[in-house]
Amino acid sequence: MSGDLAFYGFAALTVLSAFYVVFSRNIVHAGFSLLFTLFGVAGLYAMLAADFLAATQVIVYIGGVLVLILFTVMMTRIPRRGAGGRGLDRFVPAGVFALLLFALLYKVITGTPWAEKAPVSADPTTARLGASFLTDFVFPFEFVSLILLAAMIGAAILIRDRRPAADDGAGGAAAPTGEEERS
Amino acid sequence: MGEHVLSWMTFAPLVGMVVIAFLPRERPTLTKVVAAAAAAVPLLLAFQVFATFDRSTAEMQFVERGSWIAPFNIEYFMGIDGLSVTMVLLTALLSFLCIIASWRIDKAVKGYFALFLLLETGMMGVFCALDFFLFYVFWEVMLLPMYFLIGIWGGPRKEYAAIKFFLYTLAGSVLMLLAMLAFYFNVRNPDTGAHTFNMLHMMDQANHSPWLQLSHVRHLIWIALFIGFAIKVPIFPFHTWLPDAHVEAPTAVSVILAGVLLKMGTYGILRISYPMLPDAALWFAYPLAILGMINIIYGALCAMAQSDMKKLVAYSSISHMGYVLLGMSAFTTQGINGAVMQMFNHGTITAMLFLCVGVIYDRAHHRDIDGFGGLGLQMPVYTSVFSLALFAALGLPGLSGFISEALVFLGAFPTYRTITIISALGIVLGAAYVLWMLQRVFLGEKNPKYDSLPDISARELATLVPIAAVVVWVGVQPSPVLDLMRVTLNNLIATVGR
Amino acid sequence: MFETLALNAPSWSDLRHFVPETVLVVTFLLALMADLFARGRRPAGPFALALGGCLVALAAAVSSLPAGPRSILGDLVVVDGLAGFFRVLFPLIGAITILFSWASGEIMGPRREHKGEFYALVALMAFGMCVMASAADLIMLYLSVELVSLTSYVMAGYMRTSLRSTEASLKYVIFGSVSSGVMLYGLSLLFGLTGETTFVEIRAALLAGRADNFALLVAMVFVLAGLGYKIAAVPFHFWCPDVYEGAPTPVTALFSVGPKAAGFALMIRFFYTTLLSPGGGQAAAGAAAPDGVIVGPADWPLLIAILSVVTMTYGNLVALRQTNVKRLLAYSSIAHVGYLLMGFLMLTAAGLEAILFYLLVYAIMNLGAFLFVIALNNRLGGEEISDYAGLSTRAPWVALMMMVFLLSLTGLPPTAGFIGKMYLFAEVINRHWFWLAVVGALNSVVSLFYYMKIAKAMYFTPGERAPLRLEPLHTAVLILLAAPTLALGVYWTPFKNFVDRAVAGFAGLGG
Repeated sequence: MSGDLAFYGFAALTVLSAFYVVFSRNIVHAGFSLLFTLFGVAGLYAMLAADFLAATQVIVYIGGVLVLILFTVMMTRIPRRGAGGRGLDRFVPAGVFALLLFALLYKVITGTPWAEKAPVSADPTTARLGASFLTDFVFPFEFVSLILLAAMIGAAILIRDRRPAADDGAGGAAAPTGEEERS
Repeated sequence: MGEHVLSWMTFAPLVGMVVIAFLPRERPTLTKVVAAAAAAVPLLLAFQVFATFDRSTAEMQFVERGSWIAPFNIEYFMGIDGLSVTMVLLTALLSFLCIIASWRIDKAVKGYFALFLLLETGMMGVFCALDFFLFYVFWEVMLLPMYFLIGIWGGPRKEYAAIKFFLYTLAGSVLMLLAMLAFYFNVRNPDTGAHTFNMLHMMDQANHSPWLQLSHVRHLIWIALFIGFAIKVPIFPFHTWLPDAHVEAPTAVSVILAGVLLKMGTYGILRISYPMLPDAALWFAYPLAILGMINIIYGALCAMAQSDMKKLVAYSSISHMGYVLLGMSAFTTQGINGAVMQMFNHGTITAMLFLCVGVIYDRAHHRDIDGFGGLGLQMPVYTSVFSLALFAALGLPGLSGFISEALVFLGAFPTYRTITIISALGIVLGAAYVLWMLQRVFLGEKNPKYDSLPDISARELATLVPIAAVVVWVGVQPSPVLDLMRVTLNNLIATVGR
Repeated sequence: MFETLALNAPSWSDLRHFVPETVLVVTFLLALMADLFARGRRPAGPFALALGGCLVALAAAVSSLPAGPRSILGDLVVVDGLAGFFRVLFPLIGAITILFSWASGEIMGPRREHKGEFYALVALMAFGMCVMASAADLIMLYLSVELVSLTSYVMAGYMRTSLRSTEASLKYVIFGSVSSGVMLYGLSLLFGLTGETTFVEIRAALLAGRADNFALLVAMVFVLAGLGYKIAAVPFHFWCPDVYEGAPTPVTALFSVGPKAAGFALMIRFFYTTLLSPGGGQAAAGAAAPDGVIVGPADWPLLIAILSVVTMTYGNLVALRQTNVKRLLAYSSIAHVGYLLMGFLMLTAAGLEAILFYLLVYAIMNLGAFLFVIALNNRLGGEEISDYAGLSTRAPWVALMMMVFLLSLTGLPPTAGFIGKMYLFAEVINRHWFWLAVVGALNSVVSLFYYMKIAKAMYFTPGERAPLRLEPLHTAVLILLAAPTLALGVYWTPFKNFVDRAVAGFAGLGG
């Protein structure tokens, strides 16, 4: 029963904080709230005996991604409070759609005979995962590295100085940029 | 050239088109000479075909056959019988004369003649093709040159008329494509057992699959084909593209449109729908007769209401194509012979009419019937040629129109008495609009504005006289043309008829 | 020491069957490094490397067409006829894109950095698309889609200084992440239902009765949302017109054919493997039977049929109103997806052949139309229909070639587009989906109107008369694309045989 209690605890933490992320008008609060969402998910992973995944979740998402997000939020001059109110005309259809989707998924999840696996032992998985990545799943493992490389290139290209490189030639004559600014 | 007559007739214009594409833009006359030469090849070969065509058999003649796309059983299969030979002759004659009639085109000369030759290839191909796929390709190839010929060299509302023509005919032909595919999958080549596009195999009911023998299926396919052809003819509710296209098109293109393109609709019905789905043809015969009657009366009434000469001729075409429908719906030998004869005669007569309207339009730059008067004194030669054409159109005995209309009525009367009698009113209405126009344009008070109009030129006369000769000759002595088609059509009626 | 799970553990020798893909990855890395040493205004090194790499991959793919299915790399990837076909198509598309980017002002404009990386990314995207076409496992399905999406986002935003381009990229990212998330949810449902990740095993589990039709349908629709986004089928198309308009035109050209074809490849493999089991299906009297028995919800072809009709009709109707040629071509590409979906729901080998044939033809003619837009944008600085007024006198041969592409896109003989469409309609008729055939055929008529709007501007509307000379490279590539568009409309037996061989070697279709 303690397992169930822990599950519901983590689930509630995840869902409630996620709600706060979405509905909070203060972006800093939303960012901090995300911490609890990610942590709750990590807890769920741990309960499924996926210890490596849970640890990764904490290290990468909370320790890395979230910190970066907070850095970005703090260091840029985005208005802390969301601008303008959300119109009811958008909120209502979106809400109805979300509820319908929830009903659909609820029906699917409760009404389906899932292919259940026998409970697995809670042995550490890290070594087996590492071995898998370098044997059976070596191709997807390498493939992901290509995805990350592409993402890095993308970041390098997209996050560069907005001014069209004014210093690229020795002459340095600032050519008109009108041709590029057609919009 | 001996055994590839049809290929030469079909592709000589295409060769001419390619040559024209590489000619220098600064030498328009050279372009015109090349175009005339390319169109002369089919004309000369047409004489050979006329001379050597075997009039005693319903078999395909001048057949050429070879594999084209083996995985889809498509063949290059060309041949003509009594039904298509008249159309091939008509196409060769009118195309050449239209090139001559277009001599004064001065805008984008290369493009005009190149497209015209492409158009001729398409028309020839349609009448010669015996493989349904090949037929369809040629059928569609015609659309594009026609679109540009109307859209670039046409009148004030050319762009509207061009796209309307294109959309209407494409809508019809996609339905035909679907019907063609339905045939393909349900007809087997008796020799190999494979599916086939061969029209002759499709005509043999023994090759049809059980599904294709279900009557509701046959009726549906008939309707799909019929809409495709009806738009081309055009048959009553599908006719609205025609007045726009004819009026906006340049003279020579109107001639081809009315003279040859409209015939493709009725040719398609006789070549494809009748022999391939004879029972559906009989099922639809009565509605077809009624549609023919509507075409006759409606076209004639609309023609009476026009003040634009070209529009009048355009509506008269709708009326005259009605005779073709009435004749073919009767399933009698006279009826069908009259129908095909009418296809040929309407081609020549309407060509004359459009050419004549073109002559006056080139001089006065308008076509308003009420804007003239007393032209008979000013342009005597022109008046006599135009009158000949008009009399032929109203069916004066001694001219070709009379023969075919008489045959149609003779053939249709035993089958549909009431419809035939009502349709005969069309003759009266025809006489009314023709004579009325004749009177307003050529007789009466002379309009002083046109005191200095020159009479018809030698070149213009050269385009009209050969057609006039055919009109008179067929009117006096119809048997040379009738003999060409009789055996084939009688055979068709024997296999399709009741 | 550690036991391996798969029957065929991945080994170096697997790469022997993976040559084109390997070549593309190596090309990507080399071009990336060559960019570091690139000097001058134009990065000749990366360009030559990427072009050469794509051509080598193309040659390798053509020379090693797989005869039958072969699972490699731990059964996560299957190399079969279908993959063989697409690994020919994608390097070809990549090579053409690279060729016409070289002279495009939008990519190679005077002051734009990261020019070399562009060519490297094209090679990477080609690789990703090849993997999409051969993925045999949910993991590879998801990863390959992500790789292609990520490279797409970067390329869409390539004109960093253009607001339109940045907006396009952002829209692409947002819509892309949402649909990818939805797809992932669908994949996890599927895994939950069957406990398997390999397509073949999933089918085996479903056949064994561990399938709940309702849950399966929901999972299928979710997966369809992700793949529908890749191919831009309605209602997952919202990103398409804005991204197509905003992205640099060479990138738009690539998007309009590459990811679309890859999406179809993946859809075919996924659905035809997991939801079809061997054997002849049921058919109405006189109609051809599907080449497989449907596993799970029996009505999913009808669902796709509705999707197809809505997609083509919406694409065509909205295209009617467009005045910007890139937007017009974007909507027209949505309509073409509708036609392709008709072939997809036939569940027959002939339907597949029709899809592949059409994809090949579509790639050629659509790239041609976009190249025309690029070439003229370089000279005229715009891509409104009205910019093309009088083009028939300014550049008659170029206008003529565009005319060929437009006719082919409409589907008029004697062009390749007609043949492609005819094969699609033929199979629809053969399977007796008559209403679908009629709707599709009438849609072609509608499309004629807006394609002819471009023709009208070029030929009917008078404009400037000064002759217009294009970049020689652009003219050359235009000819290279126009010639097969016309030639394939007259004689296409070799291409048909090539496509038939690909389908015969396909591992799916229940086989």
